[in-house]
Amino acid sequence: MAGLVSTNTFWSLWLFVHLILAVGLLGALTHQAMAVALPVRQPAGGIVTRFRAVPAAGYATAVCVLWVLTFLVGSYIYTKYRIYIRIPLEQGGYYKTGGFFDFKEHVASIGLTLLPAYWYFWKNAKNPEYDNARKGVTLVLAVMCWFLFIVGHVLNNTRGFAS
Amino acid sequence: MSTATATNSRAAPSSLAASRKFKTFATTFSIAGPVVYCGTQYFNWPLFTYHPATGRLVWGSEAARPGEGPNMLWYGWTVTTILIAAGLGIVAMMLPERISRKIPLALVWIFPILTIPYVIYSLMPWWTHP
Repeated sequence: MAGLVSTNTFWSLWLFVHLILAVGLLGALTHQAMAVALPVRQPAGGIVTRFRAVPAAGYATAVCVLWVLTFLVGSYIYTKYRIYIRIPLEQGGYYKTGGFFDFKEHVASIGLTLLPAYWYFWKNAKNPEYDNARKGVTLVLAVMCWFLFIVGHVLNNTRGFAS
Repeated sequence: MSTATATNSRAAPSSLAASRKFKTFATTFSIAGPVVYCGTQYFNWPLFTYHPATGRLVWGSEAARPGEGPNMLWYGWTVTTILIAAGLGIVAMMLPERISRKIPLALVWIFPILTIPYVIYSLMPWWTHP
């Protein structure tokens, strides 16, 4: 990419890709979580009801792919975070902010390991044997995703785009 | 999931999703994953260490060297976790079905919740730094 864009723009673009993937993942997982936590008995209704009335099983593969892609892009830009973001954060005394990033990386890895069972449970959505496990793992992943997204957002506000 | 939405969303499983062996692998992998990750982090068993300032990659755990910037262990912890969890999944696939069928599926979501207090505790130096 040398000569096309500046180094700052290059990494900001990757951060933006990470954000876009994360938004897609967050939307898909939130739809699914709402569908399993508050299932709809009559599909018609207001916006909240329609939000819950999605064909949730169709999201499973997309969620897995998006989680892995977001994870990989996040892993790629993490090298720059470690040098150009974390060190200034520590120098500025923002230890809790840095701590939350480490918390985020651990949650992202733990979430990654849940994907095979999550995918299996959703691909067997006809089997009532998996209903409780599917609901539990979907809700856990949705909460993790919201946590990852909010921490990433706050960190970006602290020292992110164009810094 | 005894609802209109749930009924509409119940697609027929693919061949992989219909496999009992894959079910055993997937559930064992996902049950073991969070616990193995915490163990890997606690005992510091990264498969490799990355030094981002120099681009150096070394097997196992290596502390940051003076003048070479920080080290990164997280990549190595994650890969170690995936390898161990996959190994456990493969071993579980070899178990007789009467045993593998007894793996409690609820552990897939209970274990990640239980690991969170440990993760928070492991980050104590960040929270208590003056």
